Amino acid sequence: MTETEAGDYAIKINNLNKSFQTFQAVRNLQFTVAKATCFGLLGPNGAGKTTTLKLLYGKAKPDLTPETQIDVFGLDPHKGALGIKSFAGIVPQQDNLDSELNVRDNLRVYAKFYGLSPQETQKQIDNLLSFMELEEKALAKVKELSGGMQRRLTIARALINHPRLLILDEPTTGLDPQVRHLIWNKLRELKNTGVTILLTTHYMEEAFQICDRIIIMDKGEKILEGSPRDLLRANLEKHVLEIPWLRALSNSTETYLQKHQIRYEFFNDTLFAYSNSYESLASFGENLKLGDYYLRNANLEDLFLKVTGRSLNELQ
Amino acid sequence: MSYSNSAPIPSWWKRLYSVWYRHFRVYTSNFYSNAFPPFFEPLIFLVGLGLGLGSFIPEINGMGYLLFLAGGIMVTSAMYTAAFECTYGTYIRLVIDRIYDGMLGSPLLVRDIIWGEILFVGTKGFFFSLAVLIVVSCFGIVKEPLSILVPGVGFLTGVIFAALSLVITSLVHNINHFNFYLTGCLSPMFFFAGVVFPLANLPLGLQYFAEILPLTHVVRLARALISPELLNFNLVYDFLYCLVFLVVMSWLAIKGLEKRMID
Repeated sequence: MTETEAGDYAIKINNLNKSFQTFQAVRNLQFTVAKATCFGLLGPNGAGKTTTLKLLYGKAKPDLTPETQIDVFGLDPHKGALGIKSFAGIVPQQDNLDSELNVRDNLRVYAKFYGLSPQETQKQIDNLLSFMELEEKALAKVKELSGGMQRRLTIARALINHPRLLILDEPTTGLDPQVRHLIWNKLRELKNTGVTILLTTHYMEEAFQICDRIIIMDKGEKILEGSPRDLLRANLEKHVLEIPWLRALSNSTETYLQKHQIRYEFFNDTLFAYSNSYESLASFGENLKLGDYYLRNANLEDLFLKVTGRSLNELQ
Repeated sequence: MSYSNSAPIPSWWKRLYSVWYRHFRVYTSNFYSNAFPPFFEPLIFLVGLGLGLGSFIPEINGMGYLLFLAGGIMVTSAMYTAAFECTYGTYIRLVIDRIYDGMLGSPLLVRDIIWGEILFVGTKGFFFSLAVLIVVSCFGIVKEPLSILVPGVGFLTGVIFAALSLVITSLVHNINHFNFYLTGCLSPMFFFAGVVFPLANLPLGLQYFAEILPLTHVVRLARALISPELLNFNLVYDFLYCLVFLVVMSWLAIKGLEKRMID
């Protein structure tokens, strides 16, 4: 990260805290986002991801400590929220389009908020409708659009000002696979043109697909940070064997697991066994006549569950 | 797609205009259902109260009752549209449709949103008063040329009741609670601000009370414009009252709604 040390970063956060009455949503958070990269915030519901995003553009106010630093392209949202919002595009978790207006008018109204000229607005609306593959729906009212189309329109809306920074709160939650892949492609395209992207997600696959760097948050705190691949490699075995409906192990099974250095845990009546050796897991599943099993590569989701815990918290 | 390095912050008047423009687009997207009621409402009042009740009333201070009533409903139509827009309308934008969250993702501040909304509702007040003016002029009830200025009072009525209603909305966490404001505050105001009968008919205590109500002052202004013999210097105080009321209420509205919009 030598380039970020030279001050060539897009976002730098230090000692960020935010509490609501008695509940602390963000705790001593610190991270740096390099320019033209995609940075992901992962964590269960209530981890403080959305609050973190809101703190960046002045939608939420941080608890002030002398060490608190929020730097978004050189601006602090406390004084520079308007500046930040002028060069950023924001996609909130919940679509908040004007349902009475058609697609084009939604974009036109939003372009006015940025003070775009009518000619610029026309041009940019045409570009965005084609970029987000919404041309055929240009005159449809928002309430006639599917969830996926509304999401694409919300993203198009956030791009109206040619943002240098794109902030997306769960961009693909609840969408079907086609739309998710379309959105991922578009985000990659934007990143390649130099746009810095900051997003939150629950989808480990999403993080793997588009994020250069992620942090995993839990209860307002950062637990892990790194590139998705590095994090997996450093924190988890390569393969996982899942055996449902297994509640206890026989002595011989336990001996086998110990002998082959297979780590295991029970959760929801399922055994999860982890190992770097595919063969030892496969023969474990095969030879011990354990019934149905599922042997697969470990993924970010396993890591996520490992570090944030498998049981639900009160906010989920 | 490419990103831009120059991202100028729009000037404050552009920001206010953009908020006004958003409301205008949404309002006019349902043009017919929104454009006709302002014309029907005064008709109902004039026929119901003016012709029905008015036939029992000879004259008020040398004014025909229809003329007296016209001066009142020119501003109450602006008042009610402002009150509904900035209670139910604002609440839905704030809590249900989350329109303000979307706006706050663009280069707008809470105060831009509030002032833009107040100005839009002032415009609505202008339009509603104009609708009443057109109706009563068609009936030949109002003939004075000065009455052309009445929609300006409608604008003033719109902005002060927008600001007041926004203060109420900033305090309300359940949409049903607006009933307290609409039936508990505005309806009594309708009767104790000189809209349907002159204040002089009230006991002295209530007359003083009426001076506190913002509606009293705008009714006085509107009535003076449609019957110029009522014009006098004291109207300046009515106007000043409205300005002070507007400044105080909009300040309270911004403070209160900031708490609701910014976490």
